[in-house]
Amino acid sequence: MPRRRAELVLSLGVLALGVFATVVAFRLPEAGGYARIGPNFVPKVVAGCLIVMGLWLLAEVATGGWRDAVDDDPVARGEHAFHLPAFAWVSAGLFAQMALIRDAGFVVAATALFFCVARGFGSAHPARDAATGFALGLAVYLFFVKFLNVSLPAGWLAPLLGGAGL
Amino acid sequence: MTETLSALAAGFGVALAPINLLWGFVGVTLGTAIGVLPGVGPALTVAMLLPLTSKLDPTGALIMFAGIYYGAMYGGSTTTILLNTPGESASIATALEGNKMAKRGRAGPALATAAIGSFVAGTIATVLLTLLAPVVVEVALKFGPTEYFALMVFAFVTVAAVLGASTVRGLSMLFLGLLFGLVGIDDQTGQMRFAFGVPELMDGIDVVVLAVGLFAVGEALYVAAYQSRTREALERLSGSLWMSRDDWRRSWPAWLRATAIGFPFGTIPAGGAEIPTFLSYAMEKKLSKHPEEFGKGAIEGVAGPEAANNASSTGVLVPLLTLGIPTSATAAILLAAFQSYGLQPGPLLFQTQSSLVWGLIASMYVGNVLLLILNLPLIGVWVQVLKIPRAPLYAGILVFATLGAYSLHQSVVDLVVLYVFGLLGFLMRRFGFPVAPAVIGLILGPLAESQFRRALAISQGDASVFFTHPISAALLALTALLVVVPWLVRVARERRVRAGVRP
Repeated sequence: MPRRRAELVLSLGVLALGVFATVVAFRLPEAGGYARIGPNFVPKVVAGCLIVMGLWLLAEVATGGWRDAVDDDPVARGEHAFHLPAFAWVSAGLFAQMALIRDAGFVVAATALFFCVARGFGSAHPARDAATGFALGLAVYLFFVKFLNVSLPAGWLAPLLGGAGL
Repeated sequence: MTETLSALAAGFGVALAPINLLWGFVGVTLGTAIGVLPGVGPALTVAMLLPLTSKLDPTGALIMFAGIYYGAMYGGSTTTILLNTPGESASIATALEGNKMAKRGRAGPALATAAIGSFVAGTIATVLLTLLAPVVVEVALKFGPTEYFALMVFAFVTVAAVLGASTVRGLSMLFLGLLFGLVGIDDQTGQMRFAFGVPELMDGIDVVVLAVGLFAVGEALYVAAYQSRTREALERLSGSLWMSRDDWRRSWPAWLRATAIGFPFGTIPAGGAEIPTFLSYAMEKKLSKHPEEFGKGAIEGVAGPEAANNASSTGVLVPLLTLGIPTSATAAILLAAFQSYGLQPGPLLFQTQSSLVWGLIASMYVGNVLLLILNLPLIGVWVQVLKIPRAPLYAGILVFATLGAYSLHQSVVDLVVLYVFGLLGFLMRRFGFPVAPAVIGLILGPLAESQFRRALAISQGDASVFFTHPISAALLALTALLVVVPWLVRVARERRVRAGVRP
């Protein structure tokens, strides 16, 4: 996306959030008390300021783009061009974890997350990543559940973890 | 003075208790490790550990968190010198000379001057903290809600508007953080705000989810997308670690000067260590007898900025502990750690929780000694840590990050919110929006609102109190100046440039 359009979209996003928050804030009850201001006062101020920020950002877009913006050329920033597969693998790992954690359990979800994120970062050892993810997930699970009494879902490994007296 | 000394002595009794010594050791070791590792900072680490606070005793946990905070400053220099990818903005100045020294085979003395300089600066800054805190507490006891509110406005504006590349982008993030802070139940009236009937939102947006989302998920997405295909050049740690007599002679004045610059900058809300490290670098360059070495690996250029960095990070604890005002993202998360125990940093904490506060301060003397040992004789261990490839490193970070978020409510909703904040963090990094104002807004916002409403309740709705109380009026006037003056300078400069282009 060209820089100007990205800046326009983000500026409009800030403005829209401000307008939305203002609408919500104006529906909150007054209930002033001694202070003469209620729970709706600060929300109105913050929402109003967000609108001002959105307009300010738009004004910068209209007058030559955001001031002191980040260099649009990744190479000039010492980076490479946007690598979609890497971004997608990391996201996929997080989605897999959301989908798996309740039923498959923490260890399986952590293995999937670890595997996908490592792929995203260009790892060339899928089997080793899966094994490392599993070992890390299991170690974290045992430490948190047995040592710190934080409850985490055991999921598919419940019979195994239970059977081993863990 | 004698009161301070006896309070400090009692503090050492707390800090040297075996269990607290252990927590301090865990904290500084973890701090060094995350300082060394690119992609994990102290703000993220403390945020990930916040859910554990319910299992730990407050004194031990806070000693550990403080250890992570200042330990990370030590570890950061190792990465900067050997890898030339400064983990944080405060390390950029060190990278200028430190990496050049490493390239010339002088990595050892560079690491040594950084570690010893950090120790000298950290210890002197802790002494200054010990002496200054009771004085500030004395003043702060006279503050009412009006003064506190003005002070918070001052902190918000300096962190958001004055620092960073762009005033408007900083302020946008501040108001976004303040909006996030409004979500949930209003504690004065019980009114539900911005929760939209979602049970996970009724308790408010948790700082763990926001900070971990922005720092860990956002960072992982960004590094994967823009940096995962570049190679990093790790400099070898060869030769002697020892500094020569000449190295010592050139280092120690730099350490002391940098401490004198760094500490005051830390105590005012000037947002972190970036400015003092660059000031120290510029000063050393100017005063050096070997100006020709700058840019090729001058040891003063490492000694100064590293000491300034540590002194200012200790200075940040003055407003945090005595006034309850965080001036960096990490300080804001430390404030959240206090709050998770129902403690509110400020002058009263020095009276009601004296042993905790002074135990914490005393632990920093001990911690700096531990860090010197960890970072000099054991430097080889951290060089190994630095060799962990990025793929398993970021995968591991995300396992811990999601664990922290999930363990809050055992809810997948938190993981979804975490990803949304991750996307937000990605966009912020890509388009140059600072993270600190959002985190500070979320944590300090609700406190500022309650002080504001309390001040108005006392004055029975008369808003002029903020301008008739002298301290409050002075702070608000100073805040206005800080915003208006740079803006005027900028407008004048742009006009002059335009006039120059079209004569």
